[in-house]
Amino acid sequence: MIISKKIEFAASHICRSPRLSDAENERTYGLAANPQGHGHNYVVEVAIQGEPDPVTGMILDLKKLKDVMEERILSVYDHRLLNREVDTFAEAVPTVENIAIDIWNRMEGLVAPGRLFSVRVHETSELYAEYRGETE
Amino acid sequence: MSVRVARRYTFPAAHRLHSTQLSDAENRAMYGKCNNPLGHGHNYEVVVVVKGPVDAVTGRAVDLARLDQLAEEQFLKPFRYRDLNREMAVIPTTENLAVEIETRLRAAWPAGFPALDKIRILETERNICEVGHEL
Repeated sequence: MIISKKIEFAASHICRSPRLSDAENERTYGLAANPQGHGHNYVVEVAIQGEPDPVTGMILDLKKLKDVMEERILSVYDHRLLNREVDTFAEAVPTVENIAIDIWNRMEGLVAPGRLFSVRVHETSELYAEYRGETE
Repeated sequence: MSVRVARRYTFPAAHRLHSTQLSDAENRAMYGKCNNPLGHGHNYEVVVVVKGPVDAVTGRAVDLARLDQLAEEQFLKPFRYRDLNREMAVIPTTENLAVEIETRLRAAWPAGFPALDKIRILETERNICEVGHEL
């Protein structure tokens, strides 16, 4: 069984790679390549796989999950400039794909007795990325 | 190490659900209001999900501009503000429309593009159909 919990954060980012020319950056990222940056209200859905406990009827303690998501996602991402304030993006471009992978890495191992199934990050209502770990 | 990326598109279109292999009474029973002889329409939502590795330089799993262009050519331009009964050879149910869009996309899918994972169509908030490899 899968249970999914949603959390939102607001952040700014700049989608430019130092390994690409200006023209390549603009072709690859479009408007998101603006060097002045821009922002989104991101919505993150963390899905956890497990079986409901026979006593509690729950896969995991949802209050504990909320605390973990606030500590591992919100405290890192909310109201930040991702390129400068999240260490992962000192090198990697903070695309929605890379944000999904980074959040997976921050949450992995912290959802016992469940197992992390997927991290889905919505950047706009028209675009999301979903990561299910290295096995895929 | 693959990531799924989903892109949502919308188009308005008209359709009428009616099978020539059923009687008028059977059509009404099967399709209800959707059998109205004059047709009706929806704001369709199409979510295209692709799956592929994240490029180490760009941080992207798919060229979104290219995907948008593909969607525009293969189903947005053909179906936007059109009567689906005239644009499709089969009854334009949500199921058949999903298969039609998947077939059109696969036929035009560029070499080297990430895999087409699935297509989800929302005819209304409550009528949703998915086709693809892994559901």
